Amino acid sequence: MTADKTETILPRRSARAARAATPPAARPLPPSLAGDRSLPYPAISRELAELRHEIPGVHGCVLGGVDGLLITHNLQNEVDPNDLAALAATTFGLGRQVGMRLGQGDFQQSTVRNQGGYLSVYAVSEQALLAVIGTDSVNVARLHLHAPGVAGRIAALLTRVPTEA
Amino acid sequence: MASLDVALKNAMNIDGAIGVALVDYSSGMTLGVAGGTGEIDLTVAAAGNTDVVRAKMRTLEMLKIEDEIEDILITLGSQYHLIRPLTGRTGKGLFLYLMVSKSRANLAMARHQLRTIEESLEL
Repeated sequence: MTADKTETILPRRSARAARAATPPAARPLPPSLAGDRSLPYPAISRELAELRHEIPGVHGCVLGGVDGLLITHNLQNEVDPNDLAALAATTFGLGRQVGMRLGQGDFQQSTVRNQGGYLSVYAVSEQALLAVIGTDSVNVARLHLHAPGVAGRIAALLTRVPTEA
Repeated sequence: MASLDVALKNAMNIDGAIGVALVDYSSGMTLGVAGGTGEIDLTVAAAGNTDVVRAKMRTLEMLKIEDEIEDILITLGSQYHLIRPLTGRTGKGLFLYLMVSKSRANLAMARHQLRTIEESLEL
């Protein structure tokens, strides 16, 4: 009854003058992969198509940057691939925070299962993510075995120095 | 009633057993594995054989055969692979996957023992 009103089990945020005085230095970000015309799009599309054909129940794949911008996709339904690229980056953000807090290292993979299907997000490189949309009946174990290989090959394609630069 | 670990250990005691896995065929994920060799990754085998089980179930559906799979036998040159869906209330959507050496195993005995293990498995 006499408990202090400001007392709570949850941590409270309070302004810290010392920290506010020295904001962290701005970190230069690498240019976004989205809209980069020098990327080998046909080869990337072949990898995405292979994943869709290899595993029954995969609707399509979206390759996006960690900045949430779409690089390319092979979705054939009415879902906006730009939205999915943004969602993939959101998932990555959560995974990265968990990894940082628990000291578990870099983000690798995250799967969301809903009533009607799956969204799996795989780390491709420091800068790119692969989102895979599957039906409820997709063989997730097979997807988890197959997708990292595809992600690795796409990572190699993304880092390949463009020939005409 | 045997727990999962006991069931997997009993399955590995079957003559000629190479590896065993309990697999969820809605996702292809394993709930437990025992045995296996350096070359054979049982999680890969589980994911692949999930498609075998699903294909057979779909076929039965298309043929309008109102029955269930008791077990599936796959005969290789040097091994037998046995797939046995769980029938208990708690085992819905799961199957046991057993690999045995053809030269060291007695197929009828292995099949019988796997049935006994399946019947006593409680999750």
